[in-house]
Amino acid sequence: MVSALLRTLSRSQLLSSPRCKLLVWCFAGCLLATSGCGKKDSATTETTEKAAASASDVARSSAKVANDVAAKSVTAPGQPKPNTTASDGTSSNVAVPNSTLDSVPPLGPLPEVPVPADNPITQAKVDLGRLLFFDNRLSGDAGTSCASCHDARLGWGDGQAISRGYAGTQHWRNSQTTINSAFFTKLFWAGEVPSLEAQAKSAITGNLAGNGDTVMIEERLALIPEYVDLFREAFGSSQPSFDLVLKAIASFERAEMISRDSPFDEFLAGDKDALSEDAKKGLALFQGKARCIACHNGPLMSDEDYHFLDLPQNKLFEKDPLRQVALRYQHYIRGVPEDVYRNADSDLGLYYTTKKDSDRGRFRTPSLRYLEYTAPYMHNGVFGTVEDVINFYDQGGGDEPNQSPLIQPLNLTEDEKSELAEFLYSLSGSEIRIQTPKLPEYQAVAVD
Amino acid sequence: MSRIFGTLTILLVVASSVARAQSEPRLLAVLPSLGKTLDPAQVDLGRQLFFDPRLSGDATISCATCHSPEHGWADGIALSKGYPGTRYFRNTPTIVNAALGRLMYWDGRLPSSDLPTLVRDHISEAHFLQADGRLVIERMRQVPEYERQFNSAFGGEPAYGRILNAVAAFVSSLTSQEVPFDKFLAGDEAAISDEAKRGLAIFKGKAGCIQCHDGAMLSDGKFHSLGLNANPEIFQDPLRHITFRRFFRTLGVPDYAAMRHDAGLYCVTKVKHDRELIRTPTLREVSKTAPYMHDGQLPTLEAVVSFYNSGGGPRASKDARVKPLGLTDVEQADLVEFLKSLSGKPIEVTKPSLPAYQLRKLGDN
Repeated sequence: MVSALLRTLSRSQLLSSPRCKLLVWCFAGCLLATSGCGKKDSATTETTEKAAASASDVARSSAKVANDVAAKSVTAPGQPKPNTTASDGTSSNVAVPNSTLDSVPPLGPLPEVPVPADNPITQAKVDLGRLLFFDNRLSGDAGTSCASCHDARLGWGDGQAISRGYAGTQHWRNSQTTINSAFFTKLFWAGEVPSLEAQAKSAITGNLAGNGDTVMIEERLALIPEYVDLFREAFGSSQPSFDLVLKAIASFERAEMISRDSPFDEFLAGDKDALSEDAKKGLALFQGKARCIACHNGPLMSDEDYHFLDLPQNKLFEKDPLRQVALRYQHYIRGVPEDVYRNADSDLGLYYTTKKDSDRGRFRTPSLRYLEYTAPYMHNGVFGTVEDVINFYDQGGGDEPNQSPLIQPLNLTEDEKSELAEFLYSLSGSEIRIQTPKLPEYQAVAVD
Repeated sequence: MSRIFGTLTILLVVASSVARAQSEPRLLAVLPSLGKTLDPAQVDLGRQLFFDPRLSGDATISCATCHSPEHGWADGIALSKGYPGTRYFRNTPTIVNAALGRLMYWDGRLPSSDLPTLVRDHISEAHFLQADGRLVIERMRQVPEYERQFNSAFGGEPAYGRILNAVAAFVSSLTSQEVPFDKFLAGDEAAISDEAKRGLAIFKGKAGCIQCHDGAMLSDGKFHSLGLNANPEIFQDPLRHITFRRFFRTLGVPDYAAMRHDAGLYCVTKVKHDRELIRTPTLREVSKTAPYMHDGQLPTLEAVVSFYNSGGGPRASKDARVKPLGLTDVEQADLVEFLKSLSGKPIEVTKPSLPAYQLRKLGDN
């Protein structure tokens, strides 16, 4: 309750306070936020101002989906190296960070959305992709769309600990938000695919997700005249193809599934009032004593690396026969050795791809942006709240000796935990809601 | 001189008997036996699987959805319903006597001698059950009663090959029982009515049905066009047309999008003169499997007889043997009576109560 009130307060401050035009806080500046600005020479100032201009451009363009997004550089604005050794006075007992924390990419504003060279964004693609995202006819039984498990009202996840999956099945992993997924180069919880296009393909055809047949989908679209026109407009193609379906959906996600208006983003852009005092303390903990930044680093707040957290098992796997089916099925279709299949009792994450024992249970670090809307958390949805997540890390994760060495007991005080939570909540901007579009209909051909 | 005539006569007799052997239909005959013994445990397991919707992608339809005992092991509708979200473009044939035929599907693309492959095709096809076999296995493994039954039927746990073999065993077990016409052929003169006997004569004679519906299965197992126009519903209903397009595209028919007639055998052979040729179906059990023809456009046996009597359909692909027959109303009725004598007593199968999913001990797979 308290943190919710603080969040509201922080929002209203954000909305009413004039934007600080003096300079842009980059990472080092953030650390020094409460004591004024760090020392910088004019060259640094110029760089950061450019970064600010670029960042706010991107913010504006993402709000209205401009065609020129595609044309822009995908390079992140330059960021100074983090200065984690600076004493900022925001916390009385910030642990001296170890070298791991020193060398990680700094937090910062999201760069422009990366766009693959073979799929530049256009408004026509975005408009088409928006329709397709909501269209059940991309699934086998025409009963499931992308939006079934990536629901605007549920943070573009599905609000379940473990996703519902295709009819007649239950999925085995948490449905991740599609917000800011455009920034990842490793999609899905175990980073199985490299692009949004590939992600959409796996989701549409996966037997526990869309169970779609690609040729059936193409033929369905071919008998929807409005789609035929939209594909022609977007791609100059005389018939809708599955590859173009993927490109359109990915373009829609790159254009409209971007959140970069969080209080923390405002703070990074120079509005030092955008974060509450508690959130600022939380930021310091995030980068220091709580060590979150070891993995949740860079503008995306994910190192896109794989880590084993030794999370508690989700009890659903003991209670729901269809979850057990899904878990064994995953082992089976990914081709694990028989003894691994026979003993399957948990999601093996990266192991499915590499078959290396050391990769068992390792999952790709998720972003922390937009997390206010995306509970429950973790690949198996085992934590219902941000506070649960913090407690898990505070106790040093699980018991498994081979869990990531980055995870150690943190000895956070209750105040520190709530400050950290406060900071984490500041990573979510306004909720992105997209009206469910009216979908075009099948039309019979003229018969002689 | 007389020797020459004698030799010529012998040659002519030989030649004409060869010609007769090539063109004359095979004799009608009693239903052959399966020629192998089915394992009762496999048949029992297959029966359950046949009725189990967990063999479909979304676990809502089973084999029995379209091959229902109440409809002569077909579905009683013109065009088959298909997987949810799709609608099919052909009529569901009965599976009774499936193991005794030569080829399966209206285009004959699979052999009856390999029913497990036929079952596999149905489970995996996007317009039928749209299921991944590996998912079906894991579902079966989540049902302890199935684990027990697979063990007793196959000596091992559920596996895809075993699933296919079990369903195939059950399908093989579905053969006509106590068919009046077979009893008649075996010497029981009273087994069929006088009308049916007259109908049999018309079948073999004036109506010429036997030219294609010959032999023990009353099918030559070959492909013909009756000149039928397509059932317009296939193109009036976008979902049927979509399935039609996808099917022929998948089988490599180049003009699938412009096509407004079932390509028939052509989709298998890609030989031009095989266009629109459809496999002759068996007439056994025919009175139970209305509506008729590959796209179900004729609702009754009377309509079928009337169709042939009027010389078939208008398409240019029509077989030359399909010509107006000049049958009287009585002759047509007799013919229908004969056709009815080809069905045995109903094959009644109690719909099995399906064993439920149970929890397994996690990690003990």
